[in-house]
Amino acid sequence: MRRRTWLPAAAAFAFFVLVWKAVVVVGGLPPFILPPPETVAERFVTAWLDGTVWPHFVTTMVEVALGFTVGAGLALVVGYGLARSPLFERLASPYLVAAQAVPILALAPLLVLWFGPGLASKVVICALIVFFPVAIATMVGLRSVDARLLELGRSLRATRRQVLATLEIPSALPNIFGGMRVGVTLAVVGAIVGEWAGASKGLAVLINLARGSLFDIPLMFATLLTIALVGIVLYLLVVALERRLVGVR
Amino acid sequence: MTADIPGRGAIDLRGVSFAFRNRTGEAHPVLDGVDLAVPGGGIIALIGPNGCGKSTLLRVLAGLLEPGAGDARLDDVPIAGPDPRIGLVFQEPRLLPWRSAADNITYPLELAGWPADRRAVRLSTLTELVGLDPAVTGSRPSELSGGTRQRVALARALALEPEVLLLDEPFSALDALTRERFDLELLRLWERSASTIVMVTHSIPEGILIADRVVVLSPRPGRVVADIEVDLPRPRSIADLDAAAVSRTAAEIRAHLADGAAADDEVEPARVELAS
Repeated sequence: MRRRTWLPAAAAFAFFVLVWKAVVVVGGLPPFILPPPETVAERFVTAWLDGTVWPHFVTTMVEVALGFTVGAGLALVVGYGLARSPLFERLASPYLVAAQAVPILALAPLLVLWFGPGLASKVVICALIVFFPVAIATMVGLRSVDARLLELGRSLRATRRQVLATLEIPSALPNIFGGMRVGVTLAVVGAIVGEWAGASKGLAVLINLARGSLFDIPLMFATLLTIALVGIVLYLLVVALERRLVGVR
Repeated sequence: MTADIPGRGAIDLRGVSFAFRNRTGEAHPVLDGVDLAVPGGGIIALIGPNGCGKSTLLRVLAGLLEPGAGDARLDDVPIAGPDPRIGLVFQEPRLLPWRSAADNITYPLELAGWPADRRAVRLSTLTELVGLDPAVTGSRPSELSGGTRQRVALARALALEPEVLLLDEPFSALDALTRERFDLELLRLWERSASTIVMVTHSIPEGILIADRVVVLSPRPGRVVADIEVDLPRPRSIADLDAAAVSRTAAEIRAHLADGAAADDEVEPARVELAS
């Protein structure tokens, strides 16, 4: 990364930590309300080194990875269908919107009841929450293909499949990646919400443990930090993939 | 110069009519009984007022639109849909923005299933043919100048060695001097390839410079109102445009164009047209 890109980010982070520290000192807050940044940093390092975080981290990552893959994969197919067939769009869109409008927090307990407290329910919840933004972005992207390029394809006798592969998908990619950026961060939310509704392992479980039986507030903050970092790293991965596939236009 | 090789890109239109339908199903006639014959290897310019159906006529020739009535034939075979024997250059370069210039040029070959090694060989022939600097073939269209982009589009249209090249105001977005240079290069290219060329233009001098015949269409619904022979020896140069014969031809074309007032009703989407 170039200096120009990371320097402002580093400055903003330093500012955030300073404000945090200032709030703790000026407000005279006890560590079980808001531990100072250095305590959280120290706890973050020890929790990773002594294996406290690791199993929970792995569980959440597996849920996010599978949930995102399933949700985004289905969304690409359905988004294509929506773009292709106005009838399908009219039939399906009320249900898609309704599914999106019901808060995932309200659905999660039901899904855990149906699919059990293990991996399956978390994958379903993640997939559900990822699905909508990616499906809509795919539909919009595929519809936004320049009609003049489609005419070019027709004049060159491109087959249906060639039109899809060489015109529609490349045109839709920037949109699809926009949806994926939103989707990947939502996938983390989905996993956490799912674990909250019932699980034996995962970063949300660790937060609950830190707050409850362990009463280790710095660990709770260290776990929050881990979740935030997971979101940031996944987001950057999607952006990097987008740069590779879409590039400069 | 019209090397009349029978069965090589000869176009024959008889009574071709075409109408667009709007949303209420009402028909708007665009072409009304167009008769036009172009011998194989001939080069003609289509000229007419805005909205007279020149582009529509070109699309009928390209097999993109099916005429409502009449008969359109290429080498005595009815034109039924897009045809590999026809190359098309649009008003704007119409390049795929996510592909390099080279990959845009070889796009028709890719669709036709050519393997990569054959495409690469053809690419070098094509870049040479249209005078494209090989150094820029790796660039994306957004990094190229307007003229270079249109060169890429021309190379793409020539990729499958068409017998007929259809050009829809191909150089209208270029400045006057660049346009003249492109017109002359197109002539050189035509002399080498012996393909039939139909060029839609707004410019009388451009039509005279390149064509054997300038065909004048009436305001919408378009029909052929004049078919004027250009009596200029080939090879032509810009200097030829000063000849007395040219002003007579231009005056004649202008008189036919003025016969009909410009059509007011716009059915096609409004387009930016650069007349000169």
